[in-house]
Amino acid sequence: MEIMGFLGQGFLVALKPLNLLLALFGCFTGTVLGMLPGLGPINGVAILLPIAFALQLPPESALILLAAVYMGCEYGGRISSILLNVPGDAGAIMTTLDGNPMAKKGFAGVALSISAIASFSGSLIATIGITLFAPLLANWALSFGPAEYFVLVVFAISTLGGMLGGKPVKALLGCFIGLALATVGIDSGTGVYRLTFDNVHLSDGIQFIVLVIGLFAISEILIMLEHTHAGQVALKTSGRMLFNAKEFGQTFFTMLRSAIMGFGIGVLPGAGATVASAIAYTTEKRLNDKDGTFGKGDIRGVAAPEAANNASAGGSFIPMLTLGVPGSGTTAVMLGALTLYNITPGPLLFQQKPEIVWGLIASLFIANIILVIMNIPLIGLFTRIMAIPYSIMVPLIAAVSFVGVYGIHSGTFDLVLMVVLGVIGYILRKMDFPTAPIILGFVLAELMEQNLRRALAITNGDISILFESPISITLWILSALVLILPVALRFRARRQAKASPDPLNP
Amino acid sequence: MSDRIFAVVWLAVCALIAVQMQQLEIPFSYEPVGPKAFPSLLAGLMALCCIYLLVKPDTDIQWPDASGIRKGLVLIAVLFGYAILFEQLGFPLATALMVVVVSRLFGGSWLNGLITGVLTGVLGYLFFDRLLQVTLPIGQLWR
Repeated sequence: MEIMGFLGQGFLVALKPLNLLLALFGCFTGTVLGMLPGLGPINGVAILLPIAFALQLPPESALILLAAVYMGCEYGGRISSILLNVPGDAGAIMTTLDGNPMAKKGFAGVALSISAIASFSGSLIATIGITLFAPLLANWALSFGPAEYFVLVVFAISTLGGMLGGKPVKALLGCFIGLALATVGIDSGTGVYRLTFDNVHLSDGIQFIVLVIGLFAISEILIMLEHTHAGQVALKTSGRMLFNAKEFGQTFFTMLRSAIMGFGIGVLPGAGATVASAIAYTTEKRLNDKDGTFGKGDIRGVAAPEAANNASAGGSFIPMLTLGVPGSGTTAVMLGALTLYNITPGPLLFQQKPEIVWGLIASLFIANIILVIMNIPLIGLFTRIMAIPYSIMVPLIAAVSFVGVYGIHSGTFDLVLMVVLGVIGYILRKMDFPTAPIILGFVLAELMEQNLRRALAITNGDISILFESPISITLWILSALVLILPVALRFRARRQAKASPDPLNP
Repeated sequence: MSDRIFAVVWLAVCALIAVQMQQLEIPFSYEPVGPKAFPSLLAGLMALCCIYLLVKPDTDIQWPDASGIRKGLVLIAVLFGYAILFEQLGFPLATALMVVVVSRLFGGSWLNGLITGVLTGVLGYLFFDRLLQVTLPIGQLWR
């Protein structure tokens, strides 16, 4: 019961007045940002990170704030999915399928409350999972040498390419671009300047915050400009606000299954909430859709994706904390946040900085309780915030982004570079490049390059060390599988489609 | 088409990285790999992806129409202006100006933009600089 002792210490950290206040603020802000179409957890965490840093919050407090925002976003995304039929963030896309039809039938209150409970159970199961499995994984990872670490990053990059939907090459290219951006600046091994083009401002490299804000706030603003729909009409939340016992019973096992599935998917590096909610929804549909009610307002179709996306958000903390390899774009930003504090996440974190790890885990429990309490009675307030027009929201986001970036170096160069990166980010996004791989590549570059160099220094340049240990070999095989399997499956599906024409689209 | 243009541009970037890495002068290295290898490897991998995009580009990319692009360019210009004038004009004034134009671009009225702009500039300065101690420039005019 060593874990309970650590968790107890974690609660002592998380229950400090400052940290509680930050969790409360983070939960509220997260829900609002998650709810606003276009803004998701990665934007929310990106916008608040520089502020947290400029305020000189201690690292555990900054992490607690960001984690609360992350969880809040996963809660908030469902509100606009249900009431507007517009997903508030990518993880909430599947929630529109049954959430909005339910709201149209007059069960908006029921859909909102059951999805709040589904979010709660997803997060709760994931947090319990973190408490149980993270220390084990951290212990195991202590035996990793540089070669294993290098192959682990290769595996993380491969899962990105394999999992992120229909554009594997663009996901991989994005990741390589992120890796390459991170090599700008002074090389820590030899002290030579790489790719700085004799610009003094680039000698320190591209600041993480500048890239994050450029990619996730500035480019988002440009994307939003194309969706200037004036005042969307939200469906009314009249009628019964709370689900009844029968509805809870109906969805209980759905939530349980989806949460466990979401958690497992979240733990995999690269695959995030979007994949988890899609898989959970299709699984429930296959299991339960006997009367063809899915897609027409089936309550299980609301519970499944919500439980899954919250659980996957929780699960993605595990690889970040234990291996230093983030499980999602948002945890990649948090990992970058930790490195700003000169803290290297990884297995040693559990021994060297237990207050950070366990404080974070305890605050996940607390944030989850705050969120479920906040999200059921305060739903009226949130729907009113949803009516704030872009013409007020967008300039505010711009101002806060600039404040945050200016706060690090107090210079004009970073602001200009941020806008440049924002414009590039916008162009990439318009071309269907997923942006999360770029940031993942950026935060993984140092880990990848240094471990490659360290491994090859051991053998004086002989690359066979990368293929020696059982762990490395397994990771190589898994990397190859996640890259090849989707291609093979698609190839097979295409051949089958040719052999027997699809009855729906002849 | 967009994919092809991007692939060509990025191939040039890859070539630039590769050339830069070749020209890098390393004083003395204790390790077999050195600082050149990793960026060069990345340039190669990116080039492979670009060649794939050249051969099999996506055809379903949609850019905004002419008026959308015009609005986008105005917004980009405003953001660059805000970045450059942030220190000179100071946070309150630069922010107020930025908010007025951006708010207009997003369909707000002049009056609403002006009110939001002045409030954001002044209250934002007091909130961040005075209350939270995040240093912001006040600008030359008010000194």
